[in-house]
Amino acid sequence: MRSWLVVVLFFLGSHLQAQKLRIAVAANAQFVVEKLQAEFERQTRIELEPIVNSSGKLTAQIQQGAPFDVFLSADMTYPNALYQSGQATTKPAVYAYGVLVLWASKDLDVSKGLALLTSDQVRKIAVANPKTAPYGAAATEVLTRQQLLGKLQPKIVYGESIAQVNQYLVSGAVDAGFTAKSVVLEPSLQGKGNWAPVKGAAPIPQGVVLLKGASANARRFYDFLFSPPARAIFQQYGYQLPSTSSTR
Amino acid sequence: MHLWMDLDWQPIWLTLRLALVTTTLLLLIGIPIASWLAYTRFRGKSILEAIISLPLVLPPSVLGFYFLLTFSPAHAVGQWLAMYLDVHLLFTFQGLVVASLFYSLPFMVHPIQAGLENLSPSLREAAYTLGKSRSETLWRVLLPNIKPALLTGIVLSFAHTIGEFGLVLMIGGNLPGQTRVASIAIYDEVELLRYDTAHAYALLLLAISFGILLAVYSINKRWVTF
Repeated sequence: MRSWLVVVLFFLGSHLQAQKLRIAVAANAQFVVEKLQAEFERQTRIELEPIVNSSGKLTAQIQQGAPFDVFLSADMTYPNALYQSGQATTKPAVYAYGVLVLWASKDLDVSKGLALLTSDQVRKIAVANPKTAPYGAAATEVLTRQQLLGKLQPKIVYGESIAQVNQYLVSGAVDAGFTAKSVVLEPSLQGKGNWAPVKGAAPIPQGVVLLKGASANARRFYDFLFSPPARAIFQQYGYQLPSTSSTR
Repeated sequence: MHLWMDLDWQPIWLTLRLALVTTTLLLLIGIPIASWLAYTRFRGKSILEAIISLPLVLPPSVLGFYFLLTFSPAHAVGQWLAMYLDVHLLFTFQGLVVASLFYSLPFMVHPIQAGLENLSPSLREAAYTLGKSRSETLWRVLLPNIKPALLTGIVLSFAHTIGEFGLVLMIGGNLPGQTRVASIAIYDEVELLRYDTAHAYALLLLAISFGILLAVYSINKRWVTF
C-alpha cells in the first residue's frame, strides 16, 4: 500500500514540475536570467526553468513544438520569424541591448582591440556559429568590415553558441573569443581573463516573445522583464536598456 | 536530383577518412594489447581491462570534457605537446583521431582478445614446439585463425568512429574539412531547418553503416561454414 503511494506521488511530482515556466534563453543572457529568476521567484513564487542555447537553435526547437512559454532571443530576427509564423503570440519587444566584447586570456592585453588577434600570441579565436548565434554574426560582421576575417580565418573555431565560446575560453582551449558583456560581468567569472568592448560593433537589440500555448503565468514573467527591478538587473550585467515608453 | 549535385561531400569524406585512419591505427595498437591481455596474467589486469572498456559505458561528453581539459594549451599535457612537438589536438583532425582511438579502442580489443582466448592452446604450443618465436606464432599462426574476430574488430571500430558525435561536438570546433564530420553536419543542418540536406547526409550514413554490417555478416557466415 505504502509503495503504491510512493509511485503515485512520484508521478504526481513530475506533473507538478511541468507547471514550471519554461524560458528559452539565448546563451548571452544565461547568467542574467539566473538573477532575474531569483528576483521573479521571490516576488511571485512562480518557478522558472531556463533552457539555454543559441537563438537559432532555440527557434528551430520552438518551430518543432518545443514546450517553452517565453523566448528571450539575442536578436530581433528570430523572434520576428516566430511571430510571422504564428508560433509567438506577441510582437517582439526589445528587453535589452547586448554589447559584444572581446575576451582574452589573462596574459593578453585587450586594450589593443582587434589588432591583438593578428599577433602570434593568439593562436585560436572562438566565435559562436554565425549561422545560428547573433553574437557570432555580430563578431563576424565586425571582422569582415575591418577586413580581418580573411587573415584570421585559420585561427577561428566555431562554438555552438556563445556558451561554448565561454567554455573554450575558460578552459584555456582558445586564447581569445567574442562573447557578451553580460558574460564577462558575471561575478563567478571574474579574473578568468581580460575583456574590452568591440569598437565598431553596434549594441544588439534583443527581443522577447510570448509563445503559443504559454501558461497564464508566462505573461507575468514577460511583464516582469520590463519592471524596474528587472531593468536594474539587466543594467548590472552591462546591458543597455530600451526607453520605458518603448513600442511594447 | 539537385540536392545530390549541390551536396557538400566534404563531411562525408572527412568522416570516412577519420574512420579509416582510426581503424588502421587501432588495428596496429589493438592486436598487441589484445594478445597481451589474452595470454598473460598479471596483477592489475582487471584494472587495465576496465580502463579499456570504459568508453563502452561512459557518456561521450565525459570523454569530451576530459579531452578538452587535457588537450588545452593552458594545461600541462596540451602545453607540452604544443611547445615540444608542435602538436595541437583541439579543433584539429589529429585531435579527433587521438580521441577516436580511445573512444573506439574496446571495439577493436574485445573481439580480438575473445578470438585469441577461444583458440585451442595446443595451436600455440605446437608452433612453439616447432621453434617459432612468439611474434611469428602470433602473426603466422594465431591471427590467420581468428579472421572473423579481426574483421569484427575492424568493422565495429570503423562503424563506431563514423557514429561519433558528442565527443566531436565538444572538441571539434565545427571546422569544415577539419572537424566538421557528417554527424555534426546533420546536427547543423537540422538546426538550420535545412531538412533536405540533413536527409541526404543521414541517408548516406545509414547506407554506409548498413552496407558495412551486411558485408560483415555475409563474409563471416561464409568463413564459419567453410
